[in-house]
Amino acid sequence: MTSRRSTSATELLVDLVTNTADPGYAAAAARRGKDAPRRWFDRPAVVLGCLLVGFTVAVAYVHTHRSAPEAAKVHNSLVARVKTAQESGDALEAEAQRLDSEIIKARQRALPGTALGARLQRAQLLAGATPVMGQGLAVQLANPPQPTATPSGGRPGSTPIDGAQTLTDRDVRSVVNELWHDGAEAIAVNGVRLTPTSAIRFAGQAVLVDFAPITSPYTIDAIGDSDVLVTSFADSDVAGRYHTLTSVEGISFSWTQERTLRLPATAAAAPRYASPAPTGSSR
Amino acid sequence: MIAGLALIAGVVVGLLLRPTVPHVLEPYLPIAVVAALDAVFGGIRARLDGIFDAKVFVVSFVSNVVVAALIVFLGDKLGVGGQLSTAVVVVLGIRIFGNAAAIRRHVFRA
Repeated sequence: MTSRRSTSATELLVDLVTNTADPGYAAAAARRGKDAPRRWFDRPAVVLGCLLVGFTVAVAYVHTHRSAPEAAKVHNSLVARVKTAQESGDALEAEAQRLDSEIIKARQRALPGTALGARLQRAQLLAGATPVMGQGLAVQLANPPQPTATPSGGRPGSTPIDGAQTLTDRDVRSVVNELWHDGAEAIAVNGVRLTPTSAIRFAGQAVLVDFAPITSPYTIDAIGDSDVLVTSFADSDVAGRYHTLTSVEGISFSWTQERTLRLPATAAAAPRYASPAPTGSSR
Repeated sequence: MIAGLALIAGVVVGLLLRPTVPHVLEPYLPIAVVAALDAVFGGIRARLDGIFDAKVFVVSFVSNVVVAALIVFLGDKLGVGGQLSTAVVVVLGIRIFGNAAAIRRHVFRA
């Protein structure tokens, strides 16, 4: 039973492949016989059919090539809007940093050389409110190189979803935490200074550091006693794990001891809800 | 001869008019194209076989487009539209290849 059914299915397929001629032509020829006289509608019918065929093909061509640039146009306008928003964000941040540095100067004029001024400066340094420099360690983490672009099977205009990103926020975070643990005093990730309230998160395909999107390669600069940092970091589980991943996943991972690192300030958000507790009431 | 001229005229008209395809008909455009190509190759082959018939040519083209679109329309309603349009393209594609091979045998005797 099964074999019979499968042979009939095979016959159907063979028939499909071998008998490609439209049986209608043979039937019409047999009905009308050889050298039948021309009918009045033969010519117009051929013309009409060919017109239709050409028209269909041309419409399909025009349609395909018109919708693709429109999708690209939408994409370009979105990219332009994102870029302007990023630029205005950068400009505002630069303005905030300029104003911050004016505040710092004014403060230094107001509190020259006092113990209070020194304490304030120290607090600002730890909070990431002032640019800092010093010796330290720079760690580089990068995603494996993308394989050659394969054509996506989607419709034109759709965005292919990349293969899973190998490195995520977790990796950046674990390196940062290890560096804090090893005694770093100030850390910046791809030029974004970390503060006590910084968050490293993952959204879509980008790692967000304080809502600033950064992409691979990730450079994590840490200022601290560079000898201690290098030895502790090299000994750490985190470094061992990424060394293993280098050979397994193809990520690139390295670190260098730096004599001078410069980290930018962050436009530190002033705490809105926390206020200093009265002294002596600490528990 | 006149068929080729009409084909070119159709292409020119399509390029000049640039008609907007209604959104509803968009999914049927590729099927219409494949059916059109099938009709053309089938017609050329019949011509070379000496059994070309204008009525069969026009009717087979129109009915191919309509039937293929109907199949896909039904499939869309039943949730298998993509698979059925693939099936239509495969079947018509096989016919196009077969007819092209027959034309090749006629023209080059190989």
